[in-house]
Amino acid sequence: MIRGPKIGRMRTRMAALLAAVSLMQGVPAHAYAFNQVVADARDIRNNPYTACPAAQRFNTATPGIADRRWSTSLGAAPQTIFTTQDSNPAARLNEIEQSIQTAFSIWTNVSGATLRPASLGLLTRTPTQMACNPFDGINSICLNQPDSGFSTGVLAFTTTVASDILTEQPFPANPPATFTGEILDADVYFNPTDPGSTFATPAALPSRPTSFDFESVLAHELGHFFGFSHSGVWRAMMFPFAPSPGQFLGDRPGPGALDAPLAEDDRTGLRVLYPDPADTVHAGSIRGRIEPANLLSLGGQAGVTGIFGAQVAAVDEITGEVIGATLGGWSCNVPGPAQFDGSYWIERLPVGRSYRVYVEPLDGPVTSASVAGATSALCRNATTDPGWPAQAACTVPIVHTNFVTRSRQ
Amino acid sequence: MRTKHASWWLAAVATAACLGAEATTLRRMSLEDLADSAHAVVRARCLGSESRAQGGQIWTWTRFEVSEAIKGSVPEHVAVRLIGGRAGKLTATVNGVPRFQDGEEVILFLEPSRGGEWTVTSWAQGTFRIHRERATGRELVTQDTAGLSLFDPATREFQPGGIRRVRMEEFRERLRAVLAQRGAVRR
Repeated sequence: MIRGPKIGRMRTRMAALLAAVSLMQGVPAHAYAFNQVVADARDIRNNPYTACPAAQRFNTATPGIADRRWSTSLGAAPQTIFTTQDSNPAARLNEIEQSIQTAFSIWTNVSGATLRPASLGLLTRTPTQMACNPFDGINSICLNQPDSGFSTGVLAFTTTVASDILTEQPFPANPPATFTGEILDADVYFNPTDPGSTFATPAALPSRPTSFDFESVLAHELGHFFGFSHSGVWRAMMFPFAPSPGQFLGDRPGPGALDAPLAEDDRTGLRVLYPDPADTVHAGSIRGRIEPANLLSLGGQAGVTGIFGAQVAAVDEITGEVIGATLGGWSCNVPGPAQFDGSYWIERLPVGRSYRVYVEPLDGPVTSASVAGATSALCRNATTDPGWPAQAACTVPIVHTNFVTRSRQ
Repeated sequence: MRTKHASWWLAAVATAACLGAEATTLRRMSLEDLADSAHAVVRARCLGSESRAQGGQIWTWTRFEVSEAIKGSVPEHVAVRLIGGRAGKLTATVNGVPRFQDGEEVILFLEPSRGGEWTVTSWAQGTFRIHRERATGRELVTQDTAGLSLFDPATREFQPGGIRRVRMEEFRERLRAVLAQRGAVRR
C-alpha cells in the first residue's frame, strides 16, 4: 500500500515559515534527476508546442536505435593506463569489450523499463582514436581520445546531444527526432591525460588496487548516456563520485541479477524515464505539493506559489531504503511553461508496500547557485533566447531553503 | 530503528544539493591537490556566458572580472571555456560542469585551456561560490562538491566532504597557508 505524505515532518526555522505538505490534484512534472530540454517555442515545427521541460532519453520504440561502438585505439598516445587480466592483445580487447557489455546490461535488465537489450544496436569496434564526435550521430566510447574539455581530476564524462525541435534531423543517416529531448548522439570519454586516472577491468582490479574499476565508472557514465543527471542518494549508481580505487560500486552483477550494481533509486528513475505501460508491479505514485503556511515567505517572486527546490524522497517503511527521490517544486498542470507551485511526483513505486515521504530543504551548504545546473534548464525566456514568446517564458525562481525537517521521535 | 533510518537517509538526500553542479566522474582532490594542479586561483565576478560549437564540440564561454589573484598572474578579465551548452537546435549536456550566473562571485582554481583561455580544475571541485550570510552579511565560501558527503556504511554517518559555509577570511587564510607551503602565494 502507498500512503500519503506525512505532514508533520517539517518544523520551522522561523514561525512564519511553517511549511506543510498537502496532497493536491493535478499532474506535477517529473523532477527526477534527468537532463531536461524545453522545446523551442519559436519554431513552427513544434506547433502546437509545450514549454514544459522534457527529459532527455532515447527513443526505445524503435529497436536497435541506440547503436554503439568503442574505440580500440588503446596504444596511441596519449595512452590511458588500462590494465586487463590477460595481456594478449586480442584477449585484452575481448576482456574490455566484455566489461562494456556488462556495463550496458546493468541498465538494460531492469524490470518495468522499456530499455532492454533489444533497444541497443550491435556493439562494434573502431580503430579510430578520435571516434567520439557529438555531431556524427554515432554513440561511441573512447578510452584514449584527448579532449580539451578535460581538466585535472576528471576521470570521465559523457556528452549527450538532444534536439529541442520535433522532426529535427541533424544526422542524415539517422531518423529525425520524434519527441523533444530525444537523445540523438551520446559519447563517453575516458581521460587519458590525468596522471591519477588509471583503470582496470574487474578481472584485473584485485591486482591493481590503485586503479579505478573501469566497469563501475563506465556504468555510471552510461547512466548519463541514457539521460540521467546525478542522484543525491549515496548508494545510487548515479551518485557522482567514483568508488575508491580498487573497489566496485555496488553489488557485482550475476546471472540472475544483471542490474545488481544499481540502487532502487536508479531503477525507479529508469522506470520513469523509460516506462513500461504493461508493468503493474511498479505502478504506484505519490504526488503532492509543498506549500508554506504563509505565502509571504516565498519572497514575493512572481508566479511562485509553492516551495521550490526541495528534495522529496519516498522511503520504504520497513527497510528504510530510499526507493525514489525527486527534486520538487514545479509542474506543468496548465498549458505554457513550468509552474512553480511546489509540486512533486514520485512515480513508478512498487505497489503493496508502505512508504514514508520526507521533504528536505536544500539548505546548509546549498545556495541557489549550486543547484542552478539542475534547474536552469527548466525555463527559457527572451533573455536566454531572443524572440522567445512571452506565453512560453518563465524564470527559474530562487531555491527556498528557509525550512527544516526533522524525524519523529 | 525508524529514527536511525531517517537520520541517515536525510543526510543522504541532503547531498543532492549539488545536483547538476557536481562532478561527472571525479577523482577526489584535497585543497592541497587543487592548489598544486591549478595555475591560478582567483576571486572573480561572472559577467556573462555564451555557447557555440567549435572544433567538434559545443562549448560555453563565461567571462569573469578578476578582483583578486590569490595564485598566479592573470589579466583583469578572463574567459573560462567549459564543455557543453546550446548551439542552434542542439543541446549538449555534460553533467558536472559548473555553470555561472551573471553577477555571482566565485573563487576559481584555473588551469590553461587552449587559445589563452582557461578551464576550471576538476570542474565542480575547483569551483567555490561566495554568498553572504543573511543575518550578519559575512561572506561564506562553499565548494560546489561540498554537498557530496562521504558516507560511512559501517556507522551510517556522513562526514562532511569539501569546503562548506566557511567564512571568507578563514578560507583565504587556509588557502594562503597551503600556497605558502608550496611557495606559490601572491602577496
